[in-house]
Amino acid sequence: MNRTYLIARQEFIKYITRRGFFISLLVFPLWIVLAVFVPRWMAGTLPERAFTIVDRAGGYEAVLRETLDRNLARRQLQALSDYAYAQADMKAFKRVHPDLTAMLFKPDSETSLKQFRAGGGVKPVLAALAPYRKPAAPPFTAPPPRFVAVAAPAPLREASPATFDAVAGDYLNGDRHQDLAPRWHKLSAIVLIPKDFGAGSATARFLSSSNGNADLVDSLQQALTSALRLQAARKLVPNDTAGAESLDVSADVETNDPTRSSDKRQAMAQTVADYLPVALAFLLFIVSMMNASVLLQGVIEEKSTRMIEVLLSCAAPRQILIGKLVGVIAVSLVTILAWGLMLLMLALFAGHDAIAMVTSAISAVLGVSLLPLILVYFLCQILIYGAIFLAIGSMAASLADAQALLGPAMLFLILPNLLIGGILQDPSGDVARYVSWIPIYTPFLMLVRLPSHPPAIELAATAVFSVATTAAMIWMVGRIFERNVLTTERPPTFGALLRRAVGR
Amino acid sequence: MNAALELIGVTKRFGDFTAVNDLTFSLAPGKILGFLGPNGAGKTTSVRMMLSILQPDTGSIRILGHDARKVRERVGYLPEERGLYKRMRADAAIAYIGTLKGMKRPDAFARARKLLDDFGLGAFARVRIEGLSKGMAQKVQLLAAEVHDPEFLILDEPFSGLDPVNQMELETFIRSLAARGKTILFSTHTMQHAERLSNRLVVMVKGGKQFEGTLEEARALLPHRARIGADRALAFLANVAGVAKIVPPNEGQPLWEIELKEGADGRALLAAVFEAGAELSHFDVAPPSLQEIFVSLVERANR
Repeated sequence: MNRTYLIARQEFIKYITRRGFFISLLVFPLWIVLAVFVPRWMAGTLPERAFTIVDRAGGYEAVLRETLDRNLARRQLQALSDYAYAQADMKAFKRVHPDLTAMLFKPDSETSLKQFRAGGGVKPVLAALAPYRKPAAPPFTAPPPRFVAVAAPAPLREASPATFDAVAGDYLNGDRHQDLAPRWHKLSAIVLIPKDFGAGSATARFLSSSNGNADLVDSLQQALTSALRLQAARKLVPNDTAGAESLDVSADVETNDPTRSSDKRQAMAQTVADYLPVALAFLLFIVSMMNASVLLQGVIEEKSTRMIEVLLSCAAPRQILIGKLVGVIAVSLVTILAWGLMLLMLALFAGHDAIAMVTSAISAVLGVSLLPLILVYFLCQILIYGAIFLAIGSMAASLADAQALLGPAMLFLILPNLLIGGILQDPSGDVARYVSWIPIYTPFLMLVRLPSHPPAIELAATAVFSVATTAAMIWMVGRIFERNVLTTERPPTFGALLRRAVGR
Repeated sequence: MNAALELIGVTKRFGDFTAVNDLTFSLAPGKILGFLGPNGAGKTTSVRMMLSILQPDTGSIRILGHDARKVRERVGYLPEERGLYKRMRADAAIAYIGTLKGMKRPDAFARARKLLDDFGLGAFARVRIEGLSKGMAQKVQLLAAEVHDPEFLILDEPFSGLDPVNQMELETFIRSLAARGKTILFSTHTMQHAERLSNRLVVMVKGGKQFEGTLEEARALLPHRARIGADRALAFLANVAGVAKIVPPNEGQPLWEIELKEGADGRALLAAVFEAGAELSHFDVAPPSLQEIFVSLVERANR
């Protein structure tokens, strides 16, 4: 039997029968569940918070209230859309209520939001949906408002600039709440619009006793900015001019891809197919780090027990090296497959219409013309990470040695992750294109950039470059492995390492 | 017949350090060679070169008449430490090495179980290596080296960690392998094993060969020694012909040690003792032990 295969098989069995492997299989889906459900649960359990507006300039309080109402309506429409597509027969619903269907299909659009608010909000839509709900559909729970604007109490309204902060402090820390509605024991925030706001350098003030009000601050800032702009525009146009009221408009920007299906399920499948490479890139990083570090520990253990000598008496160093790498690839693929199955089961358990969605997503994925390319990048990256960890393992006489070498290596390995934010925002930009040609990062970064459809020539060239880099890495690591795997001396210096890697 | 093992002018350097220097020796098929040397003598490096794990800088090594890389499947190797995966079961550990040595998987498992049965470890076939005693694990390791029925076996410190009973069992097993025509090279720090088992000896010190030959040839390197117990001091024996050196007993020890010159025997000593009227409690004349020869060789090389 081929020795490389035998070693790969042994490595595979060795890793998948470890207790740690099963734990890692379970931890990832658990992490996903926590990442999805904890924020929802926290959002559901967050208490409503009261705030007030002291509007000494006049006219701004209404603007702020309108902004908050609008934000709440947007969240409710989004939740209603999710609920409808998960719990109702939308095909039948569309035949009778095409307008409402269009609104629920695009809950992000400004037109849908206006339609939703003009139609009376949640109740009328729910009533229309009722005949089309699936038999076991749970009742819809509308997201509650996060902030409730209450009327400013008289002591706050009447406080002088010198005493305002002290009075505000009493309301914020709950020392004074008798003149609030009984359900409120304190105010979470107070917005002060000064008398000459918008005229000069006066700024609105946001007083808060806690840090959890960032979204409120953002909303209020946007609302105040819009209000100031509107006022400035109105000064240019007399109020009696025809069309002056039309100055209060907001642009309805619809994000649209003409290649996308108008069917929500198919659209979801396309999204899955689009983001598969990015998801694979991140999964790849997690899986590689997990398995490659086990590979490293395995080599150190083999060195300490001299099992490596037994292997070397049976097979050539490169057969051992490649066998180990193939074993890790197999473990990584099994890990990802197992995670995929677990996530599918979780989705089914969650009660969503997951099977049809996942089926269509899988068919979309299999129909992706770049699938071979995705596999090339994916395998190259696993091999590169594995080879680096094997090199470290072969140079280290102990785990302590390995950790000393791992530190600088990890700084290099995680560098692409630090650039991910910028690359996702501008996947075809100069930075993304240039760093994609740094040898050991190419597969990972190209996976991240695939959804932006880089030019075919760039894809072909980076794929060839990835394969060449991987082959070169394995060749160089083979030299290091062969030279170092039997030694118990201190790891070589970086210069000596490079000389060994290139054969001088 | 061709030698089963032949090293000619083998040298291995690691940077400025010469681990093995111009090593030449051979071993006939079916013989047992004791490969001796103090720590750092170059034994392990030599063994690794024999296994083609390392390549010599100069010189050549032939095993079973071929380059070592071409006869991997005909060579078995037992490393000093437990060269086994701790979480593997005993039969799987043995069979794994068998498959790496070219056996088919079912054959390797069948042979592994038979060997375990033969060695009284049949009940432990499905026990993980980490669950075995040190002696059992050592036996499993030995069986892994032998599973593919190799013609040549290299055993690095095979007796390490075994109790006296298991050491005797292992000696018997090694002799039985040799009786079946297998050639065996083993390294050890326990000279009694080498004395009992070896047809030939090679002693290495500081990377170089200090001795190669049979046990008898080794014993000829040092004079015989007489040990005498008597009711009085025996310093007068220094004047007897054929005596090279006299070592009085240490406090609490009864015997004088008398080192004889080459060719001398004990008769003159015995006559001199009786002439002096001393009453003897002990008298023997023996060749030097391998331990003494080994120490002498190492000291000579270190001078």
